[in-house]
Amino acid sequence: MALQESAALLAKLKDAYSKNDLKTCSSVLDQLKVKLIQFPSLPPVNQPSPTAQQELTLTREALEHACCVSIKQQDEAAMERAFVQLKVFYEDTRSKLPPSPQETTLQGLNLLRLLVQNRVAEFHTELELITPETQALPEVAHVLQMERWLMEGAYNKVLASSQSGTATDLHAQLMSQLATTVRDEIASCCEKAYTQLKLADAQRMMMFDNEKAILAYAAEHNWPVQGGRIFFQVEGKAGKVEGPPPLALINNALMYAKELERIV
Amino acid sequence: MVAEKMDTDKQADGPAPETEAKAGQARQMSPLEALFGLVNVLETSVKLKETKMGRVMRICASTRSQLSPETLRAFFSTVLADDVESKGFLTAHAEQASAGQVAAMDTSEASSSGKAESQKPTNTPEVEIMCFMLLLMNLLDNKKAQQAKEVSIKALQRLSTLNRRTLDTIAARIYFYYAWSHEQTGQLADVRSTLLALHRTTTLRHDSIGQETLLNLLLRNYLHYGLYDQAEKFRSKAQKEDVFRSHQQYCRYLYYLGRIRAIQLEYSEARDCLQQASRKAPTSALGFRVTADKWLTLVRLLLGEVPERAEFAVPGLSQPLQPYYEVTQAVRRGNLDAFAQVAAKYDAVFRADATRNLVTRLHQNVLRTGLKRISMAYSRISLADVAAKLALPSVEDTECIVAKAIRDGGVDAVLDHDTGAMASKETQDVYVSSEPAEAFHARVAFCLDLHNEAIKAMRYEVCCSRMRASRRRQ
Repeated sequence: MALQESAALLAKLKDAYSKNDLKTCSSVLDQLKVKLIQFPSLPPVNQPSPTAQQELTLTREALEHACCVSIKQQDEAAMERAFVQLKVFYEDTRSKLPPSPQETTLQGLNLLRLLVQNRVAEFHTELELITPETQALPEVAHVLQMERWLMEGAYNKVLASSQSGTATDLHAQLMSQLATTVRDEIASCCEKAYTQLKLADAQRMMMFDNEKAILAYAAEHNWPVQGGRIFFQVEGKAGKVEGPPPLALINNALMYAKELERIV
Repeated sequence: MVAEKMDTDKQADGPAPETEAKAGQARQMSPLEALFGLVNVLETSVKLKETKMGRVMRICASTRSQLSPETLRAFFSTVLADDVESKGFLTAHAEQASAGQVAAMDTSEASSSGKAESQKPTNTPEVEIMCFMLLLMNLLDNKKAQQAKEVSIKALQRLSTLNRRTLDTIAARIYFYYAWSHEQTGQLADVRSTLLALHRTTTLRHDSIGQETLLNLLLRNYLHYGLYDQAEKFRSKAQKEDVFRSHQQYCRYLYYLGRIRAIQLEYSEARDCLQQASRKAPTSALGFRVTADKWLTLVRLLLGEVPERAEFAVPGLSQPLQPYYEVTQAVRRGNLDAFAQVAAKYDAVFRADATRNLVTRLHQNVLRTGLKRISMAYSRISLADVAAKLALPSVEDTECIVAKAIRDGGVDAVLDHDTGAMASKETQDVYVSSEPAEAFHARVAFCLDLHNEAIKAMRYEVCCSRMRASRRRQ
């Protein structure tokens, strides 16, 4: 009974999703999730039931759609929740179900989400779960390449690939968010690495569309602009040669005294 | 992963002289006689309510290599009373194990049969569980993992009906063999819930040795499947004492913790843990040290340190660490091509060691060291030359990469976009900065910490002091 109802709801969800009707999607999803709870065979209960396989497949598919919908809604928290639920299916039901065709795509998207949120530690923890074979597949390999570029600092490549219109619109959604993060990174690098920079060059480096945008960005970061050039590192030069901070030294000395007292 | 199995039998602190003499005696005795001696020692410790069983474990270790299934069968049938329910099970399994081998009853064994008759059968549960342990030890030494698995399951069933503190040390061993036999048969995932339940029980019973062993077994179980997230959650939530009771378990714990931290990119903590694990490991546990050193090398490289050549030249370590040595050389030279070659050449090795992802992460360190060398050597160099030297595809990339290196503090230089050049800053006198003070502080803090740790570690067993008191009275 519950199975048929949820199958109907899933069909409705798919329909709405293909029409890009996000509002309907989320309302259908809410109903569907309530129905899914009633399945006995889902983890963590894992009770055997005659329709276990259909139930599991159906739930997995529903959660996959939930992930995609939340990406389209730009709701990262919802995406995280959906993926955590989904991960259980990918890991623990591997022996019971045929693998989902969406699996690698979603794994790639999840990794990309972690990159966007700059959660590198979790990114690597997730990566440990992905076999080298899967890592070589384009959906995941693309994200890995991204991460490497980010780490070594080849930001221009990240920006270029985010603007070149990659595979799916889901990727594009996340990539555009990544671009914002990357721009801030480039800005902070420029601040430290250059003393001055031509406006046109800065605009090209940070991939702004016009000069106005870069001027606004410079104003936001309090960079002085003079004669078509941005000047960095104005402050902080004066007190460059400074000795060890006295307060820290006093604290250290007090700590030594206390510890020694305890020993003697 | 056989190499990783640390030999838990060896006590790091070395046996006291008197026990050493005893062990020497045991070596001349036939295995069967040694086992009978073991039973006596065990029963005395049980009577004295001694929970540590150090001597029992040492005797087990010294007779381990001489045991044969045939001896064990004879031993079980003599020493276990008829009302011990698992007697039949144990002898049957010992027989099954010996079936494949040529039953070589040596002469010393025949001569000791006279003594066998004088040995009284017993029904002490400790002896029974120890019999399980001996059998498991023997089966696993002879690579009969499948049979060992069955025996260990039966042993756990028997253990679940007992609740005696004198059993804890032996029970912890049984847990270890239980997990180990399942790992060898590739069914590690199945035992996870059992281990978790056991961990709960041991925690409730304040059985610290069992708790430590199970904590490590579970961590190993999680890491085997790459479940670093779960491992970290379990580790941080699980109850554990400040000071581990078993030195070996502490080494293992440090190793697993180091691995988790390395994956989470907390390299300095990972380095500290792995370094301690490698240093604290007993000299006989070569396999463990090799594995820990592999991880340690990579973590240190990721931190920007370069291990000394001498560290790879230690006998016994140099051969298994060869791939890591080559990686180190590639990183030190900052040569991207050489690094890619090494990574490809030893891909299978890194995959087996589960360090492949760490090696991939080293890519940027190679770049960084290369860049550092260039900035040290040239006061001003054009970006195109930098790109050529580092074999980078384009000047734009190089500019971004150098900019990031400057921001992260790896390179001390300034970029000039108009001329497309990188100008190194004058190296300033380090003694003007706070760097020496920081280095001094780090050393002092380390020494003080070491002292405090040493004081904390001076923990005396309750029973030891009681025994000493009773001896004084006599």
